[in-house]
Amino acid sequence: MNDFHVRQHLLKSGALAVGLGLSVPASAGLFEDMDVSFGGFVRAEMAARTTALENPNNQGGNYFNDRSVGRTAFVPPALLPVVGGSDGLLQVLVPGTELGEWGSVVLPLFGDNIRRGDEIVSVDNDFNYTVLRAEGEVGIRFSSELRLIARVRAVYDPTFYDEWDARSVEQFNNGIEGGEDFDERLYTRSPNYFDYIVAGGNTPNPLEWTGRDYQVYFPALVLEYNTGDFNFRIGNQQIAWGQSIFFRVFDLPNGLDLRRHSILDRALEEFSDKRVPMLSARLSYQMTDNILLDSYVGKFQPTVLGNPNTPYNIIPVQFTVQDRYEQGGYDDELVYGLRLKADYGQWGWQAAASRRYGPEGVYRWTKSGVNKQLTGPLGSLVNVLYAAKVPAGDGGFCNGGAFDATLCRRYADSGEALANSPFEASPGGVYSADEWFRYAAEVRLDGITGLNASITDFDGSQDVYATPVENARQAAAQLNTFFIAANDSLRGHIEREYFQENVFALGVSYVNESDNDFLNQLIFNIEAQYTPERTFTNITLGQEYIRQDEYTVSLVIDKWHRFFAEFPGTYIVFQALTKNRSDLVGRHLSGYGGKPLNELEPTATRATTGKNDNANYVVFGFLQPFPNKIWEIEFATLFDPEGGIFAQPGVRWNPGKGVTVEGFYNYINGELWGNPNDNLLSTLDFAEEFTLRLTYQF
Amino acid sequence: MHIRKYDFNYGRRQLMKNVAMGAGAGVLMPLSKLFAAEQSIAKAYPDELMSIEMYTKGKIKPGDFITAQNVDVVKELLDPIVYDQIKTMNRKIKIRATETDLTKMFPYEYYDATMRNLKNGLAGKFNADGNVVMPDGSNWAGGMPFPDPKTGDEVQANMAMSWGRGDYNQYAINDTVFNPDGSKGYSYDLVWAELQVQGRCDGKVFRDMKDLVRLQTVLFTATQDVAGSSFLSTWYYDQRKFPDLYGYLPQFRRVRQFPTNQRFEPLIPGVTWFLSDAWAAGDPMRTWGEYKILERKPMLGAFNSNWGGADSDNWVHNVHGGPTGETFFDVEYELAPEVVVLESKPVGYPRSPVGRRIAYCDVRNSLFCGCIRFDRQDKPWVNFEAGFGQYKAGDKEVKGPDGKNTAWSWTYVMSFDSQTRRMSRIAHQKECTGGYQSIFKQGEDEKMYSRFFTQQALQRLGQV
Repeated sequence: MNDFHVRQHLLKSGALAVGLGLSVPASAGLFEDMDVSFGGFVRAEMAARTTALENPNNQGGNYFNDRSVGRTAFVPPALLPVVGGSDGLLQVLVPGTELGEWGSVVLPLFGDNIRRGDEIVSVDNDFNYTVLRAEGEVGIRFSSELRLIARVRAVYDPTFYDEWDARSVEQFNNGIEGGEDFDERLYTRSPNYFDYIVAGGNTPNPLEWTGRDYQVYFPALVLEYNTGDFNFRIGNQQIAWGQSIFFRVFDLPNGLDLRRHSILDRALEEFSDKRVPMLSARLSYQMTDNILLDSYVGKFQPTVLGNPNTPYNIIPVQFTVQDRYEQGGYDDELVYGLRLKADYGQWGWQAAASRRYGPEGVYRWTKSGVNKQLTGPLGSLVNVLYAAKVPAGDGGFCNGGAFDATLCRRYADSGEALANSPFEASPGGVYSADEWFRYAAEVRLDGITGLNASITDFDGSQDVYATPVENARQAAAQLNTFFIAANDSLRGHIEREYFQENVFALGVSYVNESDNDFLNQLIFNIEAQYTPERTFTNITLGQEYIRQDEYTVSLVIDKWHRFFAEFPGTYIVFQALTKNRSDLVGRHLSGYGGKPLNELEPTATRATTGKNDNANYVVFGFLQPFPNKIWEIEFATLFDPEGGIFAQPGVRWNPGKGVTVEGFYNYINGELWGNPNDNLLSTLDFAEEFTLRLTYQF
Repeated sequence: MHIRKYDFNYGRRQLMKNVAMGAGAGVLMPLSKLFAAEQSIAKAYPDELMSIEMYTKGKIKPGDFITAQNVDVVKELLDPIVYDQIKTMNRKIKIRATETDLTKMFPYEYYDATMRNLKNGLAGKFNADGNVVMPDGSNWAGGMPFPDPKTGDEVQANMAMSWGRGDYNQYAINDTVFNPDGSKGYSYDLVWAELQVQGRCDGKVFRDMKDLVRLQTVLFTATQDVAGSSFLSTWYYDQRKFPDLYGYLPQFRRVRQFPTNQRFEPLIPGVTWFLSDAWAAGDPMRTWGEYKILERKPMLGAFNSNWGGADSDNWVHNVHGGPTGETFFDVEYELAPEVVVLESKPVGYPRSPVGRRIAYCDVRNSLFCGCIRFDRQDKPWVNFEAGFGQYKAGDKEVKGPDGKNTAWSWTYVMSFDSQTRRMSRIAHQKECTGGYQSIFKQGEDEKMYSRFFTQQALQRLGQV
């Protein structure tokens, strides 16, 4: 770091005073201790893929791009009373046939074999991540009480990727559209790596400027006033609490920014550049020698996820997401909390309470708003049938009473009906029932009940003859029928909302002292969090969210131990975490255990088994410095006992002269045993890679 | 003509005899008597132990430089690593006259507290737990507990009870690390702050924390990769217990508790020193053991060295030597008439990479000039060389805590790894990155406590 100090004699000379527009007497005491320091670094970061598996959540890596899947169309049960009721034509021809369900009556001539790759180009990348990063921090100390801290981070991605460009599907059914809240920057072009765009088109992170390939923002811009036992900070800032690393039990105030390198950076850096800074005020008060009170109030900022088709995107791009952060008024909401922390020698304890909005947000089906008719031979047939229905409001039996979607319609055509459903008849969506079930299982949703929710909660769906199903076979039949009627695929629309919650946390720590060298200075920390009535995404994506009490408990054990006389001591950390309702990233456990369609019983009424027990995770990590700490070996692993592991061996080289070289490998295996959809890590299986970072600090 | 009363080797023989007898310091008379009488120490030693010129029979005199050409004349007066640096690395050291005024070898307040005890007949002793206490068994009330140390334990206690010998010490520091080829590898700035809780010069117990002896915080302000890292150590009065350690690491953005039993780890890349090395007493005293005085002998060292304020406004000494002419500070050594060669072993660290250490301690003020740690094969490893002295050079002067007397402190450290030839060259500066300054003040302990020694302080110091 090059530093320079604006010394008091400069101030006294008046130069700085003039520069700052201040009128400070030559010998003024207020800025007598003024000092300015600056430091920063530039870093090249790249992550090379070591697996052939592209991110399956993206168009270019979809599992079904290279698979041909057979689809059969069926007569919707909603139409069967016309042709096949108890006194209808089919009952006369084939007595005893169960006609009131999907899959009963095949629509001949409309079936096909679909290969997603005929429309969607696959990609083949050597790198997941290539960025240049520059960070600078300026500290201006006006006096021993008052200072300003500004840290700016700039990231540029030259986008040396084999990108999937949404313009490549414009010739299919007019390409991907979006509705009134749709933003073209996210879905109709090549991937956008850095914009965080919410419904309405704004980029709501304060003090952040982004584009497709760059991001500049202030992780910190804070004015601090300190007097005696009080410390007050106001500005854009990050706040972290707790002893657990990676497990966010006490770490309540900030959401995470999962753009850039997602959670795949050096494990020992934890969330150092991941917490979303928040415009907030933070007051801490050292109440006694042993007790610290820390509190904050801030403008709610949610977790930011990777955009569609970016390398670490975790929401399948068959969905269009409408983030209601601004439209729902959440951008005006305040979050606040306080923590008490006390330490008494070997023992310590902490307690926290926070009233906040869950930063991860929750998702549900929402109207697509895309007025685009079904098309193709089957779609055209549906459109004709739809046009033949009696419009509601024209009088007669379609007004009032029980609305019969078989004979009545609410909308002008199937396009308007779909606009009032969560679906959009566009390319780049789901093309087959097989794809639907596979992806539902992977994102821990239920493919059967999820389909039903998209129908029962939306009259637009019902209007085009969609009806709830009872089992997997019926669901597959209905899905394939509609995919054919859409002349290829349907895209799903979901909205993201946020809910207030009260979070309470308690923790205790103990430093063990023992004559046994290994047991000596073991630091135990137990942290527990309890959230009554936490809101979770329903595994059906239904309008009714799941609301349940959740607890999270973590155990952390740290120690230094010297194994070799020739090497410095090894820092070792062991952690365990249990959660009773959701997984590490907030997905409800009832969505676990999903299976692809070909592994489901046709009569299965649920596509997921759910987890009967808690979600449990184990972390083990160590840091082994070499003499003089010029080399360091690191290792961290996250283990899911249900059959997943994330291991990160790494090495760090500090040759001096401001240069640091870091390399680490992310090994991720979500298929150690059992159903991959029973463990967390299968979600990230695609991200196996080697990362190299070259840093020069100044 | 000066008439010699004793033969040339009398002093050295007597020092050896004193070791065998377990006697205290002084050859002609006990040093403690002179200490109590506030008299020149010249009365305690024969001339050849007080004059480098006499000791070398005129070959070297104050103002001369020890260089590779003449170092063999004084080889026995140097620790082996310093000798090697002069012999092979182009180091040179200017020689100054031996200091005879004890008041110049302490901070005024510490000297005053020591004198107060002496006049009141109060001397330290060890209780059953091995901790230093007053004659009545209460915790030590301040000043040097053993002005006339007779055992290795007493010498070590003098160094361990109050590191900086002030009630509050704040040092702005630069640590420049030189690679074996002499190139600059790293340059760190840090602030080291010590608040003495007990054993204070003012005789008080800070905030009534009767189970503690000191609070100490280190804050790194540069380079950028470590800036904002800070560690608070809470030291127990009971020297059998490890300190509590809380740290703020920028990557974690919060204060976490860390294990503290591993004392032999480099805190930051490149440096050659460990926490264990600080003050030759960086660990709780009773986690080491087998303190043994191997020898009492005259030695050359930076016991009253020159202050860097003469060389630069930021108090940094000029430099010379090594492959690129920058490895060593320009410092001055003097002949100390009696230096205790103190051996100790890390008995409380079964897997320590250190086999033993040898500190060279001047009996005049019980401070070390060099402290060599040896590896498990008993090969010399790192010499933690320190210089101490008054902050005065010509008309430049820094006042001490009372604002009247001249400040006294350490002036530099050169921590040299003789096995890898890597050097951490550490300067006690006026100011470092972040605008932090070295402070010699009294009466602001409460303010400094809030500023550096609470968990809130760590959080705040941690920047962002």
